[in-house]
Amino acid sequence: MKKILSVLLASTFAVGMLAGCGGEKKDAAKSDVIKIGVFEPLTGDNAAGGELELRGIKLANKLHPEVLGKKVELVIADNKSDKAEAASVAARLIEKDKVKVIIGTYGSSLAMAAGNIVKENKIPAIGTSCTNPQVTANNDYYFRACFIDPFQGTVMANYAYKNGARKVAIIQEVSNDYAVGLAKFFKEAFVKLTGSPDSVIEVANYQTGDKDFSAILTNIKAKNPDAVFAPGNFTESALLIKQARQLGLNVPFLGGDTWETQEFIDVGGKDVEGASLSTAFDREKATTEEAKKFLDAYVKEYKGEPSALTALAYDAYLIAIDGIKRAGTTTDSVKIRDAIAQTKDLETVTGKTTLDKNGDAIKAAIIKTVKDGKFKYLDFVDVK
Amino acid sequence: MANKKNLILTILLLIGCFALAWYVNFETDSYIRRVVNLCMVYAIIGLSMNLTNGFTGQFSLGQAGFMAIGAYVVGIFTVPVALRPAVFYAAPMNPLIADIYMPLWLALIVGGLLAALVAFLIGTPVLRLRGDYLAVATLGFSEIIRIVITNAQTITNGALGIKDIPPLNDVRYIFVFTAVIFIFITALINSSYGRAFKAIREDEIAAEAMGIDLFKHKCLAFMISAFFAGIGGGLYGALLGTVDPKNFLFTLTYNFLLIIVLGGMGSITGSMIGAVLVTAGLEFLRVFDEPLDLFGMAIPLFRPGFRMVIFSVLLMVLVLFWRHGIMGTREFTWDKFIAFCKNPFGFFGRKGARKA
Repeated sequence: MKKILSVLLASTFAVGMLAGCGGEKKDAAKSDVIKIGVFEPLTGDNAAGGELELRGIKLANKLHPEVLGKKVELVIADNKSDKAEAASVAARLIEKDKVKVIIGTYGSSLAMAAGNIVKENKIPAIGTSCTNPQVTANNDYYFRACFIDPFQGTVMANYAYKNGARKVAIIQEVSNDYAVGLAKFFKEAFVKLTGSPDSVIEVANYQTGDKDFSAILTNIKAKNPDAVFAPGNFTESALLIKQARQLGLNVPFLGGDTWETQEFIDVGGKDVEGASLSTAFDREKATTEEAKKFLDAYVKEYKGEPSALTALAYDAYLIAIDGIKRAGTTTDSVKIRDAIAQTKDLETVTGKTTLDKNGDAIKAAIIKTVKDGKFKYLDFVDVK
Repeated sequence: MANKKNLILTILLLIGCFALAWYVNFETDSYIRRVVNLCMVYAIIGLSMNLTNGFTGQFSLGQAGFMAIGAYVVGIFTVPVALRPAVFYAAPMNPLIADIYMPLWLALIVGGLLAALVAFLIGTPVLRLRGDYLAVATLGFSEIIRIVITNAQTITNGALGIKDIPPLNDVRYIFVFTAVIFIFITALINSSYGRAFKAIREDEIAAEAMGIDLFKHKCLAFMISAFFAGIGGGLYGALLGTVDPKNFLFTLTYNFLLIIVLGGMGSITGSMIGAVLVTAGLEFLRVFDEPLDLFGMAIPLFRPGFRMVIFSVLLMVLVLFWRHGIMGTREFTWDKFIAFCKNPFGFFGRKGARKA
């Protein structure tokens, strides 16, 4: 038994070595290739999000396989939804695979862990759906294809105000950086709109994984709000809305783009009807040429509706390719960075993309609502 | 005479390792540097966990909590004051601490001391428990720390986490910490305290009968372990340049449990070997995540995530055949090493013969 085992072990490592060597030989042969690194959580807690984004990047690579006459090769690496791994894998992509641009990742904290590495090595990175403002702050080499938490919070505050809400309650998932960011900017914007600090009547917290919200909801119901803003994870949020209806709290619920999953509707059922959320992509507002191409290709490849994550990841790839094209080089990563920083009115799936001085995408937000068990397009908020 | 020779050899090895650290720092790329750094940081935390779990025999799962304390002290105090408003963009930092800046080494030690203090506070009631109950209590404690950090928005920036910790990527710096901690723990284990720890592990009642103050020694081991976990956590935070509460979920503790079980509960060198195997091994296995063309055919198994499957299989094999980890409670010694060098085949043969 031991003999068989040692043979097995030895062969595992031998294959490992072989695979390693094989890769290097291939590199030497092809100099007409530009490598783009993709780092996404493909295993671990965030694997679902990572997988959706990977689809978008692969699709974009299929439709735009070349830049400046060179073939684009994606080097896909898994960061295991772990910060230490995210940092190591970013270093590996840069040092071992010699990528010139990095795309990724789902999850702001993972992106932040890689932030120092890309900065040190002067390799531009384009975030897909990492919305925490800190990702690009004080880092010239990190960009992103999505809008940031402050913008999304502000959009929802405007939407609530426009629809007649004057008194709102906020219920945030306090252990989620995304929810905390949204809630904070929602509150700021809403107070500004109404001119009264009392317009936000309550800010309640819950933890990821909580199941019982009756205490929070009873308290809020007593204060009689016009609407409730509840950014957070989709399962918890759906449960929250369900329990609110049971307690007779029949006011509109507003949330962020994390709600846009089938699970939200599955868990919430009838109770989440009328809940509205902000997101980056919708079929009906997908008016650009690129969006049509994307939709066709997506339906052909994966069937069903593409999610906003997939669209954003597709956009991140387009931004990278556009940057390389305008830099006119596939080797000088600093020039590529400068070109990416100047991205302006680039036609992408989620509308025209322009990057601001922080490297954040300025783009319109879309507001959707749940109707008949589906997410329906409701409104469109452009950037002022 | 033999002792002196061994001491000289150990010193030579440390100097050699330091030279290697120097080489790694200047001659290799940032990827290798990062993996080496991570190995050393994980070794520190593995060692600290081994002190309570392996040597004193107290099954504690609070390591993630102690790491969080160390990492957050580094995160809060080493970010340059000018950058702090940008980091604390959601709620301004508490004015009491907003202007306090510490160099990294000081923040590491403060973090370690704070972790030790917290260990004392929770150790006093909790260490009276044994076995599974202690594990549950310490696990709960580490979750409490994480939730406190999540909710103390003006001190820790809550769920948003802290960014812009000055990056630490100097292999020598971390090596010095690792070496000092390694030497300290070796000396501790070989002192009368260390022997008391081991006596407690073997049989608490017998140890007490021999006049060992159970509570004092358990508490001491727990505090020292927390102190080094705090330092390790601080280095971990500085290495990543960012900390957030989700880093320190209780699953992080299992990383280190894996390291010490793999290396051998109750073996210092085992923890070091375990840390290197788990960290560098996972990186080595990354080749299985990359697509592989064999004779022009792409093998579909080779896709991201496959390495984790291989890693799990390897772990199972290891645990099945080396039930006490690679080193068990044994240590690497020069005498054995020399015996091995003189007669590599006979060395294993002898061991087999002894087992039978």
